[in-house]
Amino acid sequence: MRESLMGKYVGARVNRVEDKRLLAGAGRYIDDVSVPDMLHAAFLRSPYPHAEIGSIDLTAAQALPGVHLILTGEDLKSRTYPFFGTLNFPRFYQPTFWALAVDRVRHVGDPVAIVVADSRRLAEDACELIEVDYEPLPGIATVEQALDADRAVVWPKSKTNLHYQASERFGDVDAAFAAAERVIVETFDQHRHSNQPMEARGIVAEVDPSSGEMTIHASTQSAHMVKWCIALLTGRRPLRRVVRQMISQRDHTKAIFKGMADYLKATPAMVAALKEMAPVMLKQNVTNVERTKAMNGAFVGLMGRDPKTLPAALAGDVGGAFGAKTAVHREDVAVCAAALELGRSVKWIEDRNEHLTVGSQAREESVDLAVAVRHDGTILGMRARLTIDSGAYPGFPYGGAVIAARLARTMFPGPYRLPALEFHSRIITSNKATYLPYRGPWEIETFVRERMLDVVARQLGLSRAEIRRRNLIGDDELPATMVTGPALDVRMSARRVFEKAMDVTGADDWEKTRAEAFAAGRRIGMGFATYIEAAPGPPGYMDNVGPGFSAMVDREPINAVLEADGTVTLHTQQVTHGQSHETTLAQLAADQLGVPMEVIRISYGNTRTAPFGLVGTAGSRAATFASGAVLLATKGLRDRIVDLAADLLEAAPSDIVVEDGRIHVAGTPSIAVTLADVAHAAREKGDEARGAARGDEAIRVSELFDGGAGGWSGATHVCFVEIDLDTGLVKIPRYVVVEDCGEIINPAVVDGQIRGGVAQGIGAVLYEKSTYDDQGQFQAGTFMDYLIPTAMEIPDIEIHHVETPSDVFANYRGVGEGGAIGAPAALCNAIEDALSDLGVRITEQHLPPARILELAGVIPTLSPSR
Amino acid sequence: MPAFCYHRPATVEEAVGLLAEYGSDAKVLAGGQSLVPLLALRLSHPEHLVDIGRIDGLAAVDDGPAGFTVGAAVRHADVELSPVTGRAAPLVAAAMPHIGHRAIRNRGTVCGSLAHADPAAELPAVALAADAEMVVRSASGERTIPAADFFLGYLTSALDETELLTAVRFPSWPRSTGGSVAEVSRRHGDYALVGLAAVVGVGDGGRVERAALSFFGAGATPVRVTEAEQVLVGEHPDPAAFAEAADVVTKSIEPPGDNHATAAYRAHVAGVLTRRCLAEAAGRATGGGA
Ligand SMILES: Cc1cc2nc3c(=O)[nH]c(=O)nc-3n(C[C@H](O)[C@H](O)[C@H](O)COP(=O)(O)OP(=O)(O)OC[C@H]3O[C@@H](n4cnc5c(N)ncnc54)[C@H](O)[C@@H]3O)c2cc1C
Repeated sequence: MRESLMGKYVGARVNRVEDKRLLAGAGRYIDDVSVPDMLHAAFLRSPYPHAEIGSIDLTAAQALPGVHLILTGEDLKSRTYPFFGTLNFPRFYQPTFWALAVDRVRHVGDPVAIVVADSRRLAEDACELIEVDYEPLPGIATVEQALDADRAVVWPKSKTNLHYQASERFGDVDAAFAAAERVIVETFDQHRHSNQPMEARGIVAEVDPSSGEMTIHASTQSAHMVKWCIALLTGRRPLRRVVRQMISQRDHTKAIFKGMADYLKATPAMVAALKEMAPVMLKQNVTNVERTKAMNGAFVGLMGRDPKTLPAALAGDVGGAFGAKTAVHREDVAVCAAALELGRSVKWIEDRNEHLTVGSQAREESVDLAVAVRHDGTILGMRARLTIDSGAYPGFPYGGAVIAARLARTMFPGPYRLPALEFHSRIITSNKATYLPYRGPWEIETFVRERMLDVVARQLGLSRAEIRRRNLIGDDELPATMVTGPALDVRMSARRVFEKAMDVTGADDWEKTRAEAFAAGRRIGMGFATYIEAAPGPPGYMDNVGPGFSAMVDREPINAVLEADGTVTLHTQQVTHGQSHETTLAQLAADQLGVPMEVIRISYGNTRTAPFGLVGTAGSRAATFASGAVLLATKGLRDRIVDLAADLLEAAPSDIVVEDGRIHVAGTPSIAVTLADVAHAAREKGDEARGAARGDEAIRVSELFDGGAGGWSGATHVCFVEIDLDTGLVKIPRYVVVEDCGEIINPAVVDGQIRGGVAQGIGAVLYEKSTYDDQGQFQAGTFMDYLIPTAMEIPDIEIHHVETPSDVFANYRGVGEGGAIGAPAALCNAIEDALSDLGVRITEQHLPPARILELAGVIPTLSPSR
Repeated sequence: MPAFCYHRPATVEEAVGLLAEYGSDAKVLAGGQSLVPLLALRLSHPEHLVDIGRIDGLAAVDDGPAGFTVGAAVRHADVELSPVTGRAAPLVAAAMPHIGHRAIRNRGTVCGSLAHADPAAELPAVALAADAEMVVRSASGERTIPAADFFLGYLTSALDETELLTAVRFPSWPRSTGGSVAEVSRRHGDYALVGLAAVVGVGDGGRVERAALSFFGAGATPVRVTEAEQVLVGEHPDPAAFAEAADVVTKSIEPPGDNHATAAYRAHVAGVLTRRCLAEAAGRATGGGA
């Protein structure tokens, strides 16, 4: 039964636990961290998109009083390990590079030097005194330039700017196209834009002057990821010292190998994955020697490191990330290297200009698409070619672009019957800032598919709802399998969600409404988009990214602790940064344990106490993974509590009831014990009752959850617009989202996640663009150039929930990304609809007012196409 | 932000004395809504900041026989909320809600906006349309500069580095005259892509006697399109006349293009705004003054 839905908290609009702190200004963000004797860092950054570095003159800067240290890329060679590619795919080049530019700068904002001084201001003053001789090179700013053999190569060792290529066929594509009654072809473009959380990046590398040990305070989505990546890339010593250390800690070294062997023994999926990847890895090791050396050097360095010198990482409140903080950035490594060099704590807070210029960019993708259809709208197959502009330096520990490409290919069919798909991917490198994952990194598939469905409908003379009805997978066809591999289980509700959206909005009568408005001189439009989101997807979904991924990430740990005082702490590797885990996980735990929510505390972001996991909070996974792990761990804790209480109350465990934190025998609520009593009893009883409890904990239960049945979230967005063709301004009088994310833990949190995502999708279409000129010069470094929608631009968003019940354990699914996935397509479809009588076809995603008037033929077309 | 020496003079004399002493090394700090972002981006490196916010004599809004006078320490919000503005300077009142957001209007000053001379800002265009006068002081005395001679180029006014704009004076609003300010911006509160401050004065015969069309966001300075103004004078204020003026505007104006909008867009919207503002201004003129 759906036990959890019957709880007191789960399913209710419980106020957010974190709001009391955050709304009162008592949050602790990275800039609130201040440690004794802390110094401040600033970066000197390249003003050029692409240039050779001649000489760097530090004399004047070093002479400035209050400046403690300046490091350049050359200096980092002996102090850090270079960044290297960690992924293995055929036809994939991953450059090796340093935290600071060496020999060459590759985008505007490329860090050239780090200055550490008594204050940020002094550090910035010193940056202005550094003289760098640049020899400008031609910049690569478009895909065409990147692929032009006569132009510069961003990474000379690769000899080409084409860094990844893949071609796959699913189903019988030739047969599909041979059987087609029509083949419709179009190319869609999406422009570079950017994550832009309220809190930009930042780090405080705190060095204990007595021990030299480092604690990293980070604004991150995963504390353990920060810890291990920094451990891997900093603290470089000469190889002979590394080897000497390995010998001197022989037992430790052996234990590492044994640990790996045990892990592999226990994880046959990983062994299989390694076997599958072996030929690719071997080939890459031989063809990309630079990477092989870097990788080996860093890992040997890590093994030959005294474990006592490993850093710890702490994340406090994180003011948003949207994917930008899934990476360890070059600046992080430079700051830590400087702190270790000085033996003093160093703080770096990214300013908005930096964040816009280099913090995280995303989404610059295009798809050439051909669709084979029958006259009745039945889709027979598709051929697609995706191109991503990944910028110059890939993210670490994994490049966002290749993951996005793999996921876009996997998700391309969406919730539709697609019997055959040919999918090509290309990733080019350019003189732009790093491409990172952004809320729904594979969103291009929904944009392209939903846009194309409108195009096809119009060409075939069908209504836009009709073509979707003809191809959406219905309940009666489930379970099914997407042609690209992932399983669609019986809870996949896209068809029902779509029908509800049509009902709620009266979309089937739209043509009439629009015709009347047009006749009255009002230019209105309506568009919709339907998608499903792997949040977290079926079991093994992450293997679609690459072999072994699921085995690596599908293990969510939770430690549930009954403290001596009768409160309960849940330790998680999730790092909540707007997702409200302090509320939702506490709701689940409180209902499971039968205690008031106030009793539960969520502890996160501290590698000293959080169970190990590298993913942190990303990919809309927590709703299933962390919720399931909480249910398992608190169930275990509850069993122990009930056993001990049964002893205290001299009753059978099966007769024990826990209500509002009081534990009593069924029927006699007046005689009760409390959690504190049980905690006391556990401590009296000793080890057996306490599990793995440490210190003054009373009971500790640790659980790992593998995601169980996983599942899909999904939604249909319906967007209404009204366009003023005098000015090109687009108004959104109504925006409707109908969604299904399984059982809802907290509707207010779900609504908040959806609204934020939709706002970002609207922002992408009407406001946000990381503009580069055709030389690669960056032109959107302030909020006057890069426009974020405000409350004035975002309409009220009307949300309807569909809850598909199921007996599946932890039937909760993520909604973190969907809003941003559906909105661009729905809005662009609505705009095209409003211009439909003018024969306008929209193939791009960014539609500021001038572009609207160009498309409508009101003014001549002069805007750059991207 | 680079380091600077902060001065807070109590009197105008003291302020202009500091400006005389430090010359181009000093900058006046009024509301800071334009200057402070420039400092934060290190695009400006003044060694001295002269904060005029606490100079008593500069904080007044005055509606006298000489016109509507706004002192240099007066914030946008003070003017916006003053009961006098709508009657004494309706064009200024009409511009106010378009200036940034409330938080910015709470700090930014009217004179700061004029001195900063951003061509996309509302008030320079309003000053030009309403024939305002700048009252300027330096250590060597006072002078007044008509708006028509004040805006020289992009972020460049006729003030020299030792001069303080102490007040702006708008002449008394004539009878049977209406004003209108409209603009198109990407978002609420943004600087305009292009905007218009229009004035229409209607004579006893019901024909246009005076017209001012002052555009912002349409060049390196606020721009009056006199050809279009002349088209209107002597005509009945009706849609046909407005459309003709709008046509002239779109053809003759030469706005810049940038990442927010092309020049063609701005020229087109300038025409649209011409029709809209003229209709509103003429309505106000014939409907009884403001
Ligand atoms: C987000 C944002 C949005 C904005 N939107 C708009 C908008 O839509 N429209 C608009 O018009 N403005 C807008 N502004 C600007 C705002 O109105 C400014 O306040 C105004 O333009 C300048 O006034 P200030 O008092 O802040 O001047 P400051 O920033 O203090 O100074 C600006 C410049 O003028 C000089 N200066 C100031 N006062 C004097 C004086 N009395 N004598 C000589 N020199 C002087 C200073 O030295 C400096 O060079 C916006 C600002 C922000 C931050």
